[in-house]
Amino acid sequence: MSARRERLLQAWRRFCRPPRRLRTTPAGRTYLVLTIGVGLGALNTGNNLLYLVLGLQLSLVLASGILSERCVRRVQIRRLLPASPRARAPFHLGWALRLPRGQAFALSVREVHPVLGSAVGHLAWLPSGEEMMVRAVATAPRRGPVQLHAVRISTRFPFGLFEKSRDVEVPGELLVLPGRMPARAESPSPTSGIGLEQRSLRGRDGGGDLAQLRELREGEDARRIHWRKSAQLGTLLRVERDAQPQPRIVLQLDDRAPPEALDLTCEELAARAELLLARGAEVGLESAGGVSVKPGTGAFHTQAILRALARAGHPRKAG
Amino acid sequence: MRSERLRLLLRDLTAGAAFAAMAISGQVPLWTMAVFVVALVLALAGRRPLSDGRLSAVLLLLAVVAVYAAVLLDELDLVVAACITASLLTAQRLLSRPTGRTTDQLQLVSLLMIAGGAVLSADLLFALCLVVYAVLAVLTQGLWVVAEVPGGALPPTGRVLRPLGVGVMLSLGGALALFLLFPRLSWNVGARRAGASLGGATTGFADGLRLGGTGLLKSNPRVVFRARIDPDPGTDQLDAYWVGRRFDAFDGVQWSTAGTRGGPSRQVVLGPIDANLVRQEIDLLPAYGSRTLVALDAPIRFGDAESHQTTFSIRTEIYSSGDREVRLVGPSEHVTYRAFSAMERGRVLSESPAERARRLQLPKALDPRIPALAEALAEGAVGDRAIARQIERALQSRYSYTLELPGRVKDPLADFLFDRRAGHCEDFATALVVLLRTRQIPARVVVGFHGGERAAGEYLVRAGDAHAWVEAEVDGYVLRLDATPPQHRSAAGIGLAGWLLARWEALQIRWLDRVVEYSLSDQSRLVQRVRWSLRETPESAPPTARRPDEGVAVALAVLSAAFLVAVLIGRRAATNDPAELGRRLFRLLRRRGRLGPKGWLDGARVGEAELGPVREGIARYREARFGRQPLLPGEGRRLLRQARRALQGPDAPSARGPRRPTSRA
Repeated sequence: MSARRERLLQAWRRFCRPPRRLRTTPAGRTYLVLTIGVGLGALNTGNNLLYLVLGLQLSLVLASGILSERCVRRVQIRRLLPASPRARAPFHLGWALRLPRGQAFALSVREVHPVLGSAVGHLAWLPSGEEMMVRAVATAPRRGPVQLHAVRISTRFPFGLFEKSRDVEVPGELLVLPGRMPARAESPSPTSGIGLEQRSLRGRDGGGDLAQLRELREGEDARRIHWRKSAQLGTLLRVERDAQPQPRIVLQLDDRAPPEALDLTCEELAARAELLLARGAEVGLESAGGVSVKPGTGAFHTQAILRALARAGHPRKAG
Repeated sequence: MRSERLRLLLRDLTAGAAFAAMAISGQVPLWTMAVFVVALVLALAGRRPLSDGRLSAVLLLLAVVAVYAAVLLDELDLVVAACITASLLTAQRLLSRPTGRTTDQLQLVSLLMIAGGAVLSADLLFALCLVVYAVLAVLTQGLWVVAEVPGGALPPTGRVLRPLGVGVMLSLGGALALFLLFPRLSWNVGARRAGASLGGATTGFADGLRLGGTGLLKSNPRVVFRARIDPDPGTDQLDAYWVGRRFDAFDGVQWSTAGTRGGPSRQVVLGPIDANLVRQEIDLLPAYGSRTLVALDAPIRFGDAESHQTTFSIRTEIYSSGDREVRLVGPSEHVTYRAFSAMERGRVLSESPAERARRLQLPKALDPRIPALAEALAEGAVGDRAIARQIERALQSRYSYTLELPGRVKDPLADFLFDRRAGHCEDFATALVVLLRTRQIPARVVVGFHGGERAAGEYLVRAGDAHAWVEAEVDGYVLRLDATPPQHRSAAGIGLAGWLLARWEALQIRWLDRVVEYSLSDQSRLVQRVRWSLRETPESAPPTARRPDEGVAVALAVLSAAFLVAVLIGRRAATNDPAELGRRLFRLLRRRGRLGPKGWLDGARVGEAELGPVREGIARYREARFGRQPLLPGEGRRLLRQARRALQGPDAPSARGPRRPTSRA
């Protein structure tokens, strides 16, 4: 094949590749069969009224294409991701839809993703200029970051014969945290371990009872100042409290394990970390692959550990 | 709830319109019509007793089996059987629980009925039903699709109807454009003639004319033939007689005719042809229903008869029969022919004693009061012509016209003349002929039509224009006499109804000409007209006259523009596709001769400092396509624009280098 013919062929293929996806519904398939039947009948008999009916059927297909295009063309989409979705647990995926002008009907929204794409949200009517929320219940089978790049918006309007879809580029990442499982006291698998680094803090800056007040030295944290007493005495006084013995635990993770085993380990460690944190321990995380979360407490810290466990074994996002 | 009721109403009416498109053909059996109408009425009243569809499905299956058994036994046409099946299926679906699925099925079966109607009927009413069906089907489907969306608040119905209105316009306009442009290439292996529509053929020239009928034909408004007359009389209402058959033998109840049958021929000449003839192009429509040809009184020549089938026309032969009657050799539902008639009445052609005796023959059991009545009516008149005119005037003035007759009586003529003193045109014509014959004036009854309404440059003649009058031989000439009161000679349609009927008939003619008989040659003429109109300068075109093909040109232009816009929108939407970005970069680089050694983006020669945007474009293409870092909205277009701008500067180093040898030494 000559280069020119090849170029022409490529140009034709490009022309034929539509920017929209079109799926025929069962009623649409029957309709197409009927249209072909009427067309054959018209050709066979030369009956002009059959040609008229055929023209109506074909123009209905054309009108369907134009009206459905008007529904999906200008829709703007914003993705609303859940804060902490857990693997194997249902969570809500949301989208905010807006149409600058015109109106759209019978919309369905889904992610262009092999797993999350099965969650479909529906909207009967999107009026002009208003932002409408659509939600769908999704379930992710595994932990880890899910790269989302597009949202597919579809409509069966106006005749239900075809479903026209348009993929809207909306890049984003959904971080699925390890699934929930009952926590165990001991280290359950060889790829995880619990560091036994435990120590009581002897300093007088802990979270215990008030021990004494003394003058603030230079370079000390101003947040420790007891402002009321300082105002009474006219000098800056610092609070010193008895330190509580906080267990500090660093969880060890071998993130070079095979994916399935690693997933299991991460879920076990996540459960363990949540248990320990709930009991007041400072929990950290370290792994051979470079994951490191310093020991700490609190809800944000829990999230940090769970996120680190969710990303374990996955390549870091570029940039 | 209101919107649901509206949806159901629209859905049921859609099915009704589709059924009507089929039923107007008059070929759907009455029992099918009854079943469907009952189902439709029940559905419209909200009664749907077939929520459990098993029993009804079994009954439906049995009915369908019976219908197709009738087809196998040659009792029923296959197309009609298919239409019956579709009707029964629709009736069953109408009475089932309404869901999205049943609505889809109903719509599809309705479409089948519309197709069935197209095969069975060629009437203008079909177009009306088709338009109503299209409008209702679009609205129904649109509302159902929106209502079927799970778990959402439904929009106000008015909001949905607005885009659906656009859909209706697009569908109807598109149907018209596609109808005009779809090539009429037919295999012609299953052509089927359109029937005479609801009511069947109506004219029905019988072999004999029997008195005592009810005369219902007079109020039938269906057009049975149309004629173009040259020279054009120019009047809206034609006062003319269209001759069909003549009868000269009367037995007291029934008229009959005798005569020799001529051989089949392309033309039949009945009298001397001179230059002063009225030319008529006559189109006998399917409702005509007779093989007798008609022409303006007095017909001289018939010829050029063509029988029109759905896809082709063939010449057909004619022959003379009986007393100057001209008939088609074979039956045909749609025939055109030419006829020429003399403007002045000529001499009597047949002077044989036998013919003259037949025209003087009286019934054997003639009521003795009739000759006495003739003598009384002719009293004082001198000469045959004066006697004939005096009796004609006496009948017109002393007897009244009525279509309400008692039916069969023993002596209908005596009943008309002496008892009821009222009758219709056949009674008047019979009485006049018998009264003339008692006075030894040869006469005969002529049946045909009287009148004609102008529409679209032609004259339409209805079944109700059927008429009977008299031809008498007076002083060697044929004298036309009509004893029927003048106001009762043509069809009864007057006033607003008559005006509406005339407009309807004009539409019907256009429908037949421009739709039902639209052909490949019409298509080529249309294309040529459009080409010529495009070549014409605006100054040469009349400013107000808007030809019909201009509408077609506008429709074509709108369709082309819509297609172009759709393509452009599609291409624009495609630029954020990474693959499309790669293709466009590839094209840009190929044009500038900067592609890599393997002919793709790898190794593209874009090392110069000023080609940074091109490198960025290629890098982003790779990231987006293979690195799961999709393009941001509008990023593809921006990258392409920058790359194009950067490449406007330098040419490729090798693009203008030494050319490779094209042949080997």
